[in-house]
Amino acid sequence: MPSTLTLAPAPPSEAAEAVRLEVRRFLAEELAAGTFTTHVDTWLSGVDPAFSRKLGERGWLGMTWPKEYGGHERTAMERYAVTEELLAAGAPVAAHWIADRQSGPNLLRYGTETQRKEILPRIAAGECYFVIGMSEPDSGSDLASIRTKAVRNADGDWVVDGAKVWTSNAHHSHYAIVLVRTAPADPTARHAGMSQLLVDLSLPGITINPIRILDGGHHFNEVVFDSVVVPGDMLLGEEGAGWHQVTAELAFERSGPERILSTFPLLAAFARRASTDAELATLGRLSARLLALRQLSIRIAAALDRGELPDIPAALVKDVGTTFEADVAEEIRRVVDVPASLDSPDPLGRALAEAQLHQPGYTLRGGTNEILRGIVARGLGLR
Amino acid sequence: MSSDQDLVVQTVEEILTGHQPVKPTADRRWDAELWAELADAGLTGVGLPEEAGGSGGELADAVAVVATLAAGAGAVPVAEHLLVAGPALLAAGLTLPPVDEPVTVGVSGALRVVDGRLSGTATDVPWAGVARHLVVAADGPDGEVLALVDVGDLAATDATNLAGEPRGSYVLDGVPAQVGPVGELRARYALARAVQLSAAAETVLAWTVQYAGERVQFGRPLAKFQGIQVQLAQMAGEVTAVSALVDAAVQRLDRGEPLELAAAAAKVRAGAAVDVVARLAHQVHGAIGFTLEHRLHHLTTRMWSWRDDAGSETTWARVLGAAVAGDDPWPALVGVV
Repeated sequence: MPSTLTLAPAPPSEAAEAVRLEVRRFLAEELAAGTFTTHVDTWLSGVDPAFSRKLGERGWLGMTWPKEYGGHERTAMERYAVTEELLAAGAPVAAHWIADRQSGPNLLRYGTETQRKEILPRIAAGECYFVIGMSEPDSGSDLASIRTKAVRNADGDWVVDGAKVWTSNAHHSHYAIVLVRTAPADPTARHAGMSQLLVDLSLPGITINPIRILDGGHHFNEVVFDSVVVPGDMLLGEEGAGWHQVTAELAFERSGPERILSTFPLLAAFARRASTDAELATLGRLSARLLALRQLSIRIAAALDRGELPDIPAALVKDVGTTFEADVAEEIRRVVDVPASLDSPDPLGRALAEAQLHQPGYTLRGGTNEILRGIVARGLGLR
Repeated sequence: MSSDQDLVVQTVEEILTGHQPVKPTADRRWDAELWAELADAGLTGVGLPEEAGGSGGELADAVAVVATLAAGAGAVPVAEHLLVAGPALLAAGLTLPPVDEPVTVGVSGALRVVDGRLSGTATDVPWAGVARHLVVAADGPDGEVLALVDVGDLAATDATNLAGEPRGSYVLDGVPAQVGPVGELRARYALARAVQLSAAAETVLAWTVQYAGERVQFGRPLAKFQGIQVQLAQMAGEVTAVSALVDAAVQRLDRGEPLELAAAAAKVRAGAAVDVVARLAHQVHGAIGFTLEHRLHHLTTRMWSWRDDAGSETTWARVLGAAVAGDDPWPALVGVV
């Protein structure tokens, strides 16, 4: 394999296994106490600020960040174990997910000292939530074609006009990191002239409109910016370096266990009743696929611990992983006869319904699989 | 990979350079010359301890030898010998035959051991008629046992797999046997095939990428067409996933932890990747890859066969599924590897 695609094996981590068991105990207690119920794809749909604060109290958010910013200076492998356990249990982690996964690391990397000191401890406490401001109504996979623009005014502040879409849980969030044009588009340098702004979602001129997905749920939004004045010191990183920063952010966005485990609660519901040869064979096949993906995802966590930014392997894992997420429901359907319905008295029927209605999202969000395969092809030296 | 394994790989590759891959036929059932060269270089004892007559080295070294020979389509029973029979015999406390005499393995058929003698039929034996010794799982008086017999003078049926490699049967009629605990013979065999599948799939991907870069149609290399890039990226996804899981299963074996479920997962995943990798490789290679003139068949026909050996994906998936099924599937699953 070309070295761009290979990942070194992860060394075993006793610390990760120890925290894994702590999280497992916590989740068993919470489930027993009825503070949450298991659902499919809860990192999109399971918004529960009280639950997020509990995780913050236990030190399970901002785990890898420096202590001076409210972090816990633990390894990416430990964080991997925590996030994996939360996803496997179908716990409500959506409120803090984006902030903990990518906005915080983005601030650590590119933020000013003031931005870090003010915001990171609140994220780590499970109190401050973020949305991703990348896609626009006319810019999906072709992210470099964005039109939302920010212009400096006489006071040195940014005046932002435009709209961002698919902003998950913007209506529950405090900040957006918004990719904007700070210089006019240049056809000869498509990736130039973009910057990231840290935008307080309570600023005047911001409108958040719901966009409902197939199960009727309100997770997505359109966020409209109408001459929004963003203080000049809320530029994130360098003016003009937005594309480079977004690429780095995507390595975090694409590499985690949520790209393989969104439908695990469905697989678990199936595993609890699988007994015939055909059911056990299906369960075994899906388990083998999941185990292989998990090894890859763990290797990515280890690469992050080594300070690498494995963006190409992350694209590969997300492609294969999200395809698996979608296949889980189809493979199970082939061996059971349980109608999918959100109103089903059978937990398997409800999980099938949730997995089915969320299925189109798995292979779109965070970069479509077509875009990801293009990145893998680049890793293979084909383009 | 350590420098020891680099050296082992380099030695095997140098030997392979002098050999065109062999498609076994009735006249030439295996590459005896290749085996002799490997044995002369001490490579048929890698990973087996010196005090037992082996060449020493670690499991990882033996895996490197097997993977390199799989990638080079070497028509020799090295996987069976180094990763299955050899370590299974040692684990059972039995004496290894001299390491230059090929030992193969049989896990299907109906066999029984009575008073130290093996009787019955061993079916689907890789390299039947070629190997000097055979290690099998057989019924003993108190459950399943492992038995080692000398088959050097026994006739085997001449059935073959899709690559033309021997997959015959032996009829055994009270053949004197060394007998010990069966241990994880089946899991070792499954993992050995997964190691070979992983190495072959990686090479098939490399060949396909290379071909797509060289073959020009419509005025540009195939590799520049987005449709082809998508196929190659899908192959890379499969190859990478298989390789990571097989590595993890090998590490588990190296740590001496129970192997069955990890081997099951590795065999299922590697077997499942064969369809995608071989099918897309042939699609990208076009008609020339569908002929015996082109090298591709050496690996794709072996991959189609290796996935059937040692228990199919369905058989091992049931084993893995039964272990994961139940009230608490997640801890069961993450405990596998």
